[in-house]
Amino acid sequence: MDTLRRESLGSPEGALMVEPTNGRSVSGSQASQLPILVAQDLCRSYGPRQALRGLSFTLNAGRILGFLGPNGAGKTTSIRILTTILEPSSGHFSVDGIDQRYPEKIRRRIGVLPENLGFPKQMTGLEYLSFFGRLYGRTAVDARSHALALLDDVGLTERGRSLIGTYSHGMRQRVGIARALVNDPAVVFLDEPTLGLDPRGQQELLGLVRRIASERKAGVILCSHLLWEIEKICDDVVILSSGQVIVAGSVREVIGRGRKGGIRISVPSASLAETRRVLERMAEVMNVAPVPEQTGCLRMDLANPSSEDHQVNNRILEALIRAGIPILGLSAEGNRLEEVFLQLTDKAVK
Amino acid sequence: MSAMDRPNQDRVSTSASGSPTWWVVFTRELSELWLGGRALQLILIYSILLGLYSFLLATNSELKLMPLKEMVLEMVKAAIAVSLFICLIIAADSVSGERERSTLEGLLLTPASRRQIVAGKFLAAVSPWPVALAIAVPYWYAVSQGDPVFGRAALWGAVAGSLLAPALTGLGMLVSIRCNTIKASMIASLVPYLLLLIPATTAGPSKMYESYALWYRNQILQWLNPMAASSHFLKRVLVDDWHPDVLWIWLTAPVMFAGLVLVLLFHYGSPSLRLEAETAERFRPYWERLATLWRTAGFALRSPS
Repeated sequence: MDTLRRESLGSPEGALMVEPTNGRSVSGSQASQLPILVAQDLCRSYGPRQALRGLSFTLNAGRILGFLGPNGAGKTTSIRILTTILEPSSGHFSVDGIDQRYPEKIRRRIGVLPENLGFPKQMTGLEYLSFFGRLYGRTAVDARSHALALLDDVGLTERGRSLIGTYSHGMRQRVGIARALVNDPAVVFLDEPTLGLDPRGQQELLGLVRRIASERKAGVILCSHLLWEIEKICDDVVILSSGQVIVAGSVREVIGRGRKGGIRISVPSASLAETRRVLERMAEVMNVAPVPEQTGCLRMDLANPSSEDHQVNNRILEALIRAGIPILGLSAEGNRLEEVFLQLTDKAVK
Repeated sequence: MSAMDRPNQDRVSTSASGSPTWWVVFTRELSELWLGGRALQLILIYSILLGLYSFLLATNSELKLMPLKEMVLEMVKAAIAVSLFICLIIAADSVSGERERSTLEGLLLTPASRRQIVAGKFLAAVSPWPVALAIAVPYWYAVSQGDPVFGRAALWGAVAGSLLAPALTGLGMLVSIRCNTIKASMIASLVPYLLLLIPATTAGPSKMYESYALWYRNQILQWLNPMAASSHFLKRVLVDDWHPDVLWIWLTAPVMFAGLVLVLLFHYGSPSLRLEAETAERFRPYWERLATLWRTAGFALRSPS
């Protein structure tokens, strides 16, 4: 079977280009460059409604890919197709070199934490993981010892013998992740893993996801609406809107596609008028206006956003300091994934 | 060594080396049913009902309102009907219940084949029958009051129930595979159950028919209904003392029904086991058209012209 190697990130259509390697072996140093999941032009319709239109991307071993999109963009449909729960209307995909025609073999290579996974409340965490281990062909003894190791990995050793019905939401998410790892998968799909968790729980779970990619060398697909989360731990990102890929590439590349040239400055409310006067006198800035939803915040456009002059921020700060205005914050727009996401999805909707 | 520290080592080795999938699913379902208490509750209700019914029949016997053999027959029929109902509702919950509790997706994401998952669930759903039979036998013995009819009741009651239990369980599972909610699958499986049960329980003593044609028609209708056919068989064997050799034709109906249901379940039903049942979506346009017609007709009838 042909394996596929990624050639370049981010084609004009937003699809990642792939090239067949015709089964050539790749050395250990290249292992993380091996595409472990390849999706090409996947489409799915529900009657007359097209939920997914031409999804194409690749995922390499040991990398984390963020899967983003507004509600109804087709993320869950994509995950369900790639995890063999749904069949695509057209298109092709393979996981760890296994073609989509062999769903049972694919299911041996993947681990999934679905968005709304239910748990049997009458089972303990240990029993639950052992049960799934046995479904993957492990013997009862092996499944149990593996389940204990997984419980240790996700920090649930102490509660492994308690009924799942007594677990908190965060603990259930951890058991769900442990269940996704029960077969040592090559690709792990995590759909909203931090949904409903407190900040500490979110941090811990993200640490766990990072370990899955780095220590197990598994490819991870992470679906989330929390964009800081994606920006923080993902290597690559695919943004979907209305069933189509609108952008794909590394997080840095995708952020680089955002509109640049806007700057926000925060000052005390009493100094707002003076700040505005100072800024309006500067030749480098234009369209100075207060930000309606943020008290004491002004937004401005740079007169020449494409300029490579990185000293402009310093000159703005210098002017304000000379005027004796206390500066509470300064940030350049278009440097966050969240802003790029909103810009791109707005454009796609229009 | 933690599981996290051993990447890739046994990714491929987690193939079929342990127990068969159907066995793993069956044991889990069995423990959930019996240790979880759901089947136990139903069996407890069944025991109470059977006790009440045998008490009523015993009271009738004292009043000489019903012959002993007919009393035993009624007890056998009641025990079979209630235990079939238990199997049916457990089967009707088996897939749609998992859908509703969002636990089905986890199961479908494993490499287990759909057929093996269904087989494991089917065996667990049919498990209340032997327990119900074991509970019923002492009641049958008590009601028969030492009469030799007890031996025939125990043997042929077990045979008839063992043929009908997998059939009704399979029927419940077929419905469950096609329904998204427990409520829908319960209603959809109770309808055929009642359609089979009512003719079987309301069939009175042998009537005189005006013509052979009418008699034949009645016999064929009775034979086509597996529960009525079993009921007829039990009546002839237990009450009329007929030899089972001349009645085997009446057992072919439950055998054929069980065969048909199991073929449908494992050949057509299991492969179509999905995360969401497609039936509801498929029939939606028809329901919508019907609702529009209904509204139009209502509007036309209400309009003064």
